[in-house]
Amino acid sequence: MSKVRPQELACKELVELLTEFLDGALEESVRTQVEQHLVWCPGCTEYLRQFRATIGATRKLAEEDLPQRVRENLLHAFRHWRHGS
Amino acid sequence: MPFDTGDTGASETMLAWKFLERGRVAPFGGHVWPAPGTGAPGPWIQPPGGEVFACRLSDLPWWVNAELWEVELEGPIRMLPTQIAGRRGRLVRRVNGWDDVALRAYGVACAERARDLAVSLFLREGRTADADALRQTRSPLELHRVAQELATDATTPGTATAGYVGASAYRAAEGAGAAAARHAADAAMAADGTPGVLEREIEWQSRWIVERAGLGVATVAAV
Repeated sequence: MSKVRPQELACKELVELLTEFLDGALEESVRTQVEQHLVWCPGCTEYLRQFRATIGATRKLAEEDLPQRVRENLLHAFRHWRHGS
Repeated sequence: MPFDTGDTGASETMLAWKFLERGRVAPFGGHVWPAPGTGAPGPWIQPPGGEVFACRLSDLPWWVNAELWEVELEGPIRMLPTQIAGRRGRLVRRVNGWDDVALRAYGVACAERARDLAVSLFLREGRTADADALRQTRSPLELHRVAQELATDATTPGTATAGYVGASAYRAAEGAGAAAARHAADAAMAADGTPGVLEREIEWQSRWIVERAGLGVATVAAV
């Protein structure tokens, strides 16, 4: 509905907002846009469901639950991501 | 004497409507709303640091889902563009007129309304055969197939609208009423670029839901 809803979110934009959405950190108007998108978009609804499930699963993990090698790989990936490489 | 702030305080209550997923699940929060008791509303829900959101009748098309509930909100009540918010809320009763059958019928009605728009555009464009092809479809899936075939190029308002008709009909066939309605609104906007077209479409969708769910004129006036 792009003509009359210039502020409507695309799926790609919604995905980038999901963390803040789940944290309750979005401005009201943006949160409403996210929710209105989720009402009709099955792909984003499923993505949100998976996102929640992942958060739920990882919340159960303690740092020491990770094998050393997995931990190093993750840290390596995060460092590179932060540096934009 | 204190100034009138417009805030009537916590005693303000209001009846409104709320769509939930099957099983009284909040669509975005994922929690289950407590059911009303026999002849009594459910317990109050007060989200920590948040509010309870609900619909006026005119807001319903923005939030369509599997179950529709009458809710009581307690103030202060805020009026927002497509919903209202209260400090806390509770379920009063389920609207029995809104179920999976109604949700599916809603999607089909929206797709058919979009189809009629495309038909009239094709007739205006002199494409009588294409208009007839759309008009003669007998199911949402057939409408989807025919509309998609006609929408291979979006060079005229008719073909552009037909593309959205195809998407709406596909969602209608799945029983996804909210998505079918959304694409039908897209079709209306592709067909008619004048200001207010979305608002008119939402108004039509709202009337359809109100009539189908049996929410009634008296309730409209109260909410």
